[in-house]
Amino acid sequence: MTTFLIRRLLLIIPTLWVVGTLTFFMMRFAPGGPFLAERDIPAAAKEQLERQYGLDRPLHEQYLKFLANTVRLDFGPSYKYPARQVTEIIFEALPVSLELGGWALLLAVLIGVPIGVIAAVRQNTGTDFAAMTAALAGVPVPNFVLGPLLVLGLSLSLFIFPPALWSGPQSRVLPVLTLSTAYIAYIARLTRGGMLEVLRQDYIRTARAKGLSETTVVSKHALKLGILPVVSYLGPAAARVIMGSVVVESIFAVPGLGQHLVRGAFNRDYTLVLGVVLFYSLFLMLLNLLVDIAYTRLDPRVELA
Amino acid sequence: MRPVIRLRVLAATAACALLSCAPARQADVQTAASGKRWFGDVRPPVENVFTYANGAEPERIDPGLMSGQPDGRIARMLLEGLTTPDPKTLESLPGQAYRWEITPDGRTYTFHLRPGLTWSDGRPVTSQDFLWSWMRVLKPETAARYATFLYPVDNAEAFNKGEIKDSTRVGLAAPDDSTFVVRLGQPTSYFLMLTQFYTCLPVPRHVIEKHGARWTRIENFVGNGAFRLAYWRQNDRFELTKSPTYWDAAHVRLDRVIAYSVDDLNTCTNLYKAGVTDWNPSGYLPAQYIPYMKDFADYRSGRYQATYFYSINVTRKPLDNVWVRRALNLAVDRETIARDLLKGSRDPWGNISPSGYPGYQHPPGLTYDPEKARECLAKAGYPGGKGFPKIEILFNTSEDHRRIAEAIQAMWRRDLGIDIELSNQEWGSYLQATTSLQYDVSRRSWIGDYLDPNTFLEMWRTGDGNNRTGWGDPRYDALLRRAAAELDPAKRFALLAEAEALVLDQGAVIPIYHYSTVELLKPYVKGLYQTALDVHPMKDVWIDRDWQKDAAPVAAGAAAGRGGSGTR
Repeated sequence: MTTFLIRRLLLIIPTLWVVGTLTFFMMRFAPGGPFLAERDIPAAAKEQLERQYGLDRPLHEQYLKFLANTVRLDFGPSYKYPARQVTEIIFEALPVSLELGGWALLLAVLIGVPIGVIAAVRQNTGTDFAAMTAALAGVPVPNFVLGPLLVLGLSLSLFIFPPALWSGPQSRVLPVLTLSTAYIAYIARLTRGGMLEVLRQDYIRTARAKGLSETTVVSKHALKLGILPVVSYLGPAAARVIMGSVVVESIFAVPGLGQHLVRGAFNRDYTLVLGVVLFYSLFLMLLNLLVDIAYTRLDPRVELA
Repeated sequence: MRPVIRLRVLAATAACALLSCAPARQADVQTAASGKRWFGDVRPPVENVFTYANGAEPERIDPGLMSGQPDGRIARMLLEGLTTPDPKTLESLPGQAYRWEITPDGRTYTFHLRPGLTWSDGRPVTSQDFLWSWMRVLKPETAARYATFLYPVDNAEAFNKGEIKDSTRVGLAAPDDSTFVVRLGQPTSYFLMLTQFYTCLPVPRHVIEKHGARWTRIENFVGNGAFRLAYWRQNDRFELTKSPTYWDAAHVRLDRVIAYSVDDLNTCTNLYKAGVTDWNPSGYLPAQYIPYMKDFADYRSGRYQATYFYSINVTRKPLDNVWVRRALNLAVDRETIARDLLKGSRDPWGNISPSGYPGYQHPPGLTYDPEKARECLAKAGYPGGKGFPKIEILFNTSEDHRRIAEAIQAMWRRDLGIDIELSNQEWGSYLQATTSLQYDVSRRSWIGDYLDPNTFLEMWRTGDGNNRTGWGDPRYDALLRRAAAELDPAKRFALLAEAEALVLDQGAVIPIYHYSTVELLKPYVKGLYQTALDVHPMKDVWIDRDWQKDAAPVAAGAAAGRGGSGTR
């Protein structure tokens, strides 16, 4: 277990290096640049800015400097928001994204898993079909359709929730609902699939033969293994949901991380994009590691080596 | 000369346009006496707080370095220049300077500061602060994007470009603490108006020298304007409170201003409808709503100092031929684009400079004339479009730009028999292509910074950084130089009109439409007017809680039983 952990943690370093390098060069080779604007910047001013940011140096020098700075966790100031350091921007937006993503994921698990379990237990009944049809409908509904529909219904017509912004508990409801719907649906389907497979296994038959109640069989014995697919899905899902959904953040004006990545790319904000991409990669890898550890807890047959 | 801030509409939000905000009838209020219908909630805030959507997160709130409308709106509340704009006409009113003298040759301005002016930290504001702030903009190492704004000042351009090093040769002086003298290189009739602009706002030297680029952070910020910075969270909001140290604090009626950093157009409009914001500034109402919104009393529209046009890269064949360019120009049916495509929300416009300069006679604008267009094309050697090489219209990715490009593509095919391809690029690539002349025909737009045709004409000088067509004509440059030196306003305008006629004749620019401002404003907000530059001094704004005293609302519908949405 310990060697596994150490190896996985060490593997993160070369991965980050590859991701960082690719991002660095992709950004540099994209047409345009951070100081290009619709209104012309005087040539002298542009040169001055490039000197300030070290963009007048040869590319390999810039790259080495970027590597050295990254090791020190210093991405420098954002190009677009020069009064702010990239790390500051990330850590200001992160709590918001953690909250939005956390609620959305929690809601998805709390609703998705029970639906999946019920559908599996009542396989091929009306309940199953109804639940799975609903889930099937939920997966492909894009946020940019669902979000505005919720705003129209619950905000502009019924005045229950504010239509956007991130202030006060009421403002959390619509973005969290919008973000979680697709996950609820997907988790329900994953749970159902996992449960169906487990419910056919010998040890479940043994449990039933021991005379355990169906509730105990399902909740104590089957569920533990049945939700393994959900657990492995949770790692990447958490990363995705927590790093923000650009669409949800945009519709509801949520000051989270997702918008920074997309806008940064459009603005050729080299430092901001690199910072956010590396942070995101690290986050994803750590979550996957957590998922692997969770596996050993849930399924004694899994060994980490 | 500010570029149109592009509305970065995510593909996703384009789809929600139809869904999210179709105004729900029951929530709209109709007043009995006037019969006016209002869009959404019309209950005024309980306190003297004014809330609005400010657009994209400002890049910076350092006035000397900024560019862009959202940044400018914040800076103008926090800082005040020598003069301030009249809330209706934008004419220069006394600001930090209470009076000024202009010498008869129009070249020397002497500003007298009000006695007792202070920064928000209690330090006195002196003419030295203005001198230092303006010189800071001009110093090459500051790399200020809008430094060109101060180029009318004697030797400013040479100093900014590093051609002269001696800062004392720049025509700025502060002979004593309350006098600021500006010597211009040439009489610049619109100079007073420039002193309102954000680039010319003073900045606190003592704070900048201590904190550097981080002086604009909330814990460091010091200003001299009607409001102070109280809260700032990125991508969320600014909160400003009335400044007790402002010289005219007695007349500032708002206690607080909340500016939300929201740039999705649908979200902005939803917030307005729900009554969270009191003002949806121009540019934040989705274009497709405009025909529908016109019936609401909140809707306010007027001519905006901005034009939408195509520029032609004259360095490429066959566009180097003036007859080809004239043919393309004459085969654009602006009326149809404005009326049918844009549903009348914009005015067709065949001139380079927009309307709104009293005394300026525009040259006859370009009109649609397919017959003449075909003649021009034949003169160029492509009768009926035969043998015309394939050219491309470039635009930055946006549904509206695409629709206009498609319409023009169809017009040119129909009237000239030529084949056009469309090419859209995301913003950065588009800018790269236009600045490096890697295009044939490109969509562009321009916003005026001050009320003078010069702000639309000087960019077409040979080699100007904003020209981006490769076109240049010594006759044009000479006309502009003569206009700059002309003291008589009528003669000056005549020279500018001659210059404008020359660009139109040479066809490097295809004017298409005149922008309008389109705002939504709650009925209880007073002192906020439609202006040609879309500039709105907030110190004059106030909340009228008695706005309904003449007209009691009826049919308030669901508005009466509304829950506590919103954040106030």
